[in-house]
Amino acid sequence: MASPEPKLPSELPVTQPRYVGKDTPRVEDPLLLTGRVEYGGDIRIPGMLHAAILRSPHPHARIKRIDTSRAEKLAGVAAVLTGEDVKKWSRPVFGVPEGWTGYALAVEKSHWAGEPVAVVAASDRYIAEDALELIEVDYEPLEPVVDAVRAAAGAGPFVLEGKESNLAFDRKFVFGDVEGAFAQADRVVREKFRWYRSSGNSIETCVCIAEWNPVNNMLTLRGSHRSPHLILPALVISLGIPSTQVRIIQSPLGGSFGVKTFARYVILLSLMAKKLGGRPVKWVEDRIEHLIGSSTHAWDRHYDCELALKKDGTIVGLKVKLIDDLGAFAEWLAIGMLLKPLLALGSCYHIPNVEYVCKGILTNKTPQGPLRAFGLPPHYWVLEQLIDMAAKELGLDRIEIRRRNFIKKESFPYVSPSGNIYDSGNYEGSLDLLLEKAGYPKLLREQEEARSKGRLVGLSVVSSIEPGLTGPPMLALASPKIFTRTASPEGVLVRMDAFGKMIAEVGFPPGGQSQHSFVRQILADYFGVTVEDVQVITVDSLTMQPGTGPISSSMAIALSGAILGAAARLADKLKRTAGVMLEASPDDVELMDGQLRVRGVPGKALPVPRVAGFMLMRPDLLPEGVDGNPEATYVWNPPDRTIPDERGFGRYSVTAAGAQHLCMVEVDRDTGLVKILKYVMVDDCGIRLNPSVVRGMLMGGLAHGVGAALLEEYVYDDKGQILTSTYMDYLMPTIMEVPAAEEHEMCTPSPIAPLGVKGVGEAALHTTPAAVLCAVNDALQPLGIRITEAPFSPLRIWKAIQGGQTA
Amino acid sequence: MKPARFDYYDPRSLEEALELLQKHQADSKILAGGQSLMPLLNMRLARPKVIVDINRIDGLNSVKSWNGGISIGARVNQRALEREKQVAERLPILREAAQHIGHPQIRSRGTVCGSLAHADPAAELPALALALDAEFVATGPKGARTIPSDSFFVSYFTTSLEPNEILTEVRFPGSPKGMAWSFLEISRRHGDFALAGVVAGLAVDPGRRSITGARLVCFGVGPTPVRVKEAEEALIGQPAGEKSFHAAAEIVSRGVDPDNDVHASADYRRSVAGTLVRRALLQVWQKLGGK
Amino acid sequence: MATTRAIKLRVNGADYEGTAEARKTLVDFLREDLGLCGTNIGCEHGVCGACTILMNGETVRSCLMLAVQAEGAELMTVEGLAKATGELHPIQEAYREKHGLQCGFCTPGFLMTTYELLQKNPDATVDEMKEWLSGHLCRCTGYQDILESVKLAASRLRGE
Repeated sequence: MASPEPKLPSELPVTQPRYVGKDTPRVEDPLLLTGRVEYGGDIRIPGMLHAAILRSPHPHARIKRIDTSRAEKLAGVAAVLTGEDVKKWSRPVFGVPEGWTGYALAVEKSHWAGEPVAVVAASDRYIAEDALELIEVDYEPLEPVVDAVRAAAGAGPFVLEGKESNLAFDRKFVFGDVEGAFAQADRVVREKFRWYRSSGNSIETCVCIAEWNPVNNMLTLRGSHRSPHLILPALVISLGIPSTQVRIIQSPLGGSFGVKTFARYVILLSLMAKKLGGRPVKWVEDRIEHLIGSSTHAWDRHYDCELALKKDGTIVGLKVKLIDDLGAFAEWLAIGMLLKPLLALGSCYHIPNVEYVCKGILTNKTPQGPLRAFGLPPHYWVLEQLIDMAAKELGLDRIEIRRRNFIKKESFPYVSPSGNIYDSGNYEGSLDLLLEKAGYPKLLREQEEARSKGRLVGLSVVSSIEPGLTGPPMLALASPKIFTRTASPEGVLVRMDAFGKMIAEVGFPPGGQSQHSFVRQILADYFGVTVEDVQVITVDSLTMQPGTGPISSSMAIALSGAILGAAARLADKLKRTAGVMLEASPDDVELMDGQLRVRGVPGKALPVPRVAGFMLMRPDLLPEGVDGNPEATYVWNPPDRTIPDERGFGRYSVTAAGAQHLCMVEVDRDTGLVKILKYVMVDDCGIRLNPSVVRGMLMGGLAHGVGAALLEEYVYDDKGQILTSTYMDYLMPTIMEVPAAEEHEMCTPSPIAPLGVKGVGEAALHTTPAAVLCAVNDALQPLGIRITEAPFSPLRIWKAIQGGQTA
Repeated sequence: MKPARFDYYDPRSLEEALELLQKHQADSKILAGGQSLMPLLNMRLARPKVIVDINRIDGLNSVKSWNGGISIGARVNQRALEREKQVAERLPILREAAQHIGHPQIRSRGTVCGSLAHADPAAELPALALALDAEFVATGPKGARTIPSDSFFVSYFTTSLEPNEILTEVRFPGSPKGMAWSFLEISRRHGDFALAGVVAGLAVDPGRRSITGARLVCFGVGPTPVRVKEAEEALIGQPAGEKSFHAAAEIVSRGVDPDNDVHASADYRRSVAGTLVRRALLQVWQKLGGK
Repeated sequence: MATTRAIKLRVNGADYEGTAEARKTLVDFLREDLGLCGTNIGCEHGVCGACTILMNGETVRSCLMLAVQAEGAELMTVEGLAKATGELHPIQEAYREKHGLQCGFCTPGFLMTTYELLQKNPDATVDEMKEWLSGHLCRCTGYQDILESVKLAASRLRGE
């Protein structure tokens, strides 16, 4: 029988892991370093055309007429796709909750400045862009709706034709006795916050190559597709194509951060391909398109929050009201970002009574789409800021108030207010480690001294929870019909060949997170081969096992589970075969250090490749039920997740990685510029399969968080026009803006996930904005100021200092 | 983001280039380093019918001594400011400021004259040229003429160059005797265009008591770099120090008329310009041995 | 007139020829006409640095150059770093050892800048390294491991 899933690396069938838990060089690197990897943009297919997209310049407009005749006549243009085609051949893009989206292209009406209005396919992109200029569109500009708060109160105009509202989503979740807790509290701290939208901005933009063969109705999609099985349902629904007629072949990605999990442009390019009647067409998104048009903006929030406490600093209740400006559509799974905070409403703190009221509003702006950390960073910022405020009002130290409220080490597995469970953690231990490594008392003294000289120096110590492996249960709250499921499958195939080498097939491409490498590490340790002996292949959507792919900090958990499950099944076959070869009962055969041996009988052992070879060569001698194939598949699913009830009470995620960060900043009072003087983090993501990979993810998340806190913002004018459409205005952090941070490890292995891992893909992005923003507000405390609009640009900080925004 | 079609010429001689400009006038654009023009072409915000690439013209590529200072030809890249010994010796402020111009990968192609002719009000070189009293040699079909710095910069991205002229040379005279310089700018990220910036020059008497010379040019605070003569005059004769620097800063803040954009408001720029003037003057004063 | 030109140039020590419209950018020419896809496109307006190559020994943004401007030039791209046998250049090895890449998309640009920097300034200080690296965007690594890679490369190239 298959052995139970190893819960720690030490439970792998190896005396001493050579790879798991070690800094193993990555298999992805040689091709990447030499420029020989084939990203989507590098693909060339004979006869391939190039697409360019015409986009509406108006935030809100009726499309009276499109004339593409001049464009079609331009030499080199093969075809032009318009709303008429799209309406004929497709249904609106899938979205949750259902019914609040549009087609993949504007049909009769454009809903945001940047929405696709027509697509041209030509012999090269230069000509395609020439052709765009020959398309005549008669727009009737309409009054746009731009203010989400007014729209939430019912103000029009309405974004979607046929709707009498822009309120796409409106729910209130109450856990515990919130009114009672607030009534009995000694102190209630209240504040409003504003978090402006940003997005993933992987350095590689989206790429899609579509080919729709009319003869056999086969739609082949190549390019930067993060998770084929995630977008397949959207394609099937929109295009009305049978699932087995779609083949998605994924290229290695230049990063994703949520951006490439999405379906809109895939549907659009498929329709262009349909119009082309079999010729392949490639679309490479350019950076301006990515910034304004790709529906991947995230978290445009108005918060109104209250924290209720006893006078000793014990938190008794939390109320969060938020309005999120979703942009023109409630598209794809973006609504999940409003709901994810339910998984960790109190973060690392025990807050038994919580009310969470969230509204998703449509406006005539770029639609929101998935972004790494999926809605948690603003939540942690507002919570940590409220805690700092409470500490000040109650005369408590920032550390003591947090310690008082931390979920205790003994409380795990911890059932949070929403029913979501945190598997393990040691927040106090992490905090102690953080303060020790940062030299906290010294920092306090440095701050004192700096303040005495009139310098604005601030400190913060903040926490976060990174839920590992979320997904459908959370989305069931917005769309029970579709998401009444607990599955988030991840499936693999594992095989040993006649030469003793191993092959693993996974259903997603490499994209920077080193999953292909840790697959090798696990299999090599499991079967006693070297990592060089393991070949990891990305297989396409028709060949792969059911899979969800690298989203929501899941791969360390799910992929490990899948690999171990397949390994166990393969090991089972090998043990039964070895039993025959060694003349022993299979129950007495064990796998250890690459050998199949009879327990307690030294000398009776065979190397794994020998046994695999025997399976392939001697089918006449194999035991009942063992086929002549050293191969196994396995689809891993998260255990114990539940479908939430009407209150929203349920078990949503698998693991809870925790982090505590310390940040020290100095604010230049005359310019509003922020310098990060010190940054230390302690991260508990359970067992680290490859420590340098984990460290790299954390540092990447930190940089992303600095961007979100200080630099990155999509700015709209009051008419719905975006003002930040290039990298001159949308500011990504460079090496100069990111502090040299220290990172330390706390490890409370997950008792639930395979090998004790917890996801770390979204990492420091959860925590860094809170750390930086709270530190800046701490720096401004002597001036009696607090800033509540993020990012904290120099202008915002300067204005606050000039205007004396009260704290 | 691909450019629209254009006719392309890469003349080998200045005469040829000038003939092309004379023929096509405002339908043509000069391509030198391309660091400003190419983004505009890629975004189709600039759609000239004709591009005249001056990179293959014989000559126009030297850095020479001139009048105690240096002259820089049209094809010379911005890295020359960091590389050339003459710059380090005669006008070290140019070398110091050059590090704020984009990044090394921009400065390898971007030209000194190109940046000046492009006249981005938030760029460093136009402000330096104005502060250092540079002369601009504009060559047209009728020959060369010299434009002084105070009439070269007209407005946003607009100079007094005619459509049929090329800026073939910029000449920086030597720094006035005894004057030391400082360069400060505020940007949201390293290498970005400035939200506001200042080039400050200061000279004091031998006893280091009173100010004998001052130059204050701000950039990012209006359609062109601005030399605030009122603030300069207010400094002359005053003892160098916090008080006089603060007074000069106030005059600057009041005197500039900046714009609002996504990154900063007019008020912010006004205020920060003053702050930078104060800090820059303090810095120069320290270079002169003061404080 | 001549909106289309023949272009002859050397890339990574080999001679190449092609024909291109004058408006075609150098990065597109390298990728599409010469088949050298190692250099990537990230923004097409000179900010992200992904397209960085060496032209006559200096790093340039190939998205901000026209292909015709490289006529007669000597270019180096990422494909020119490793040996034909596949043996990595010491700079590439250093990036590998220090985990200076994750998705790899920005990496060729970083490698080219590292190459020029350490060629011209083998004893570059950390501040000088950061100055040079500041012209590149990376969304994955947060830059620290890239800096460590450059430091290791410098020491290896110095023979330490």
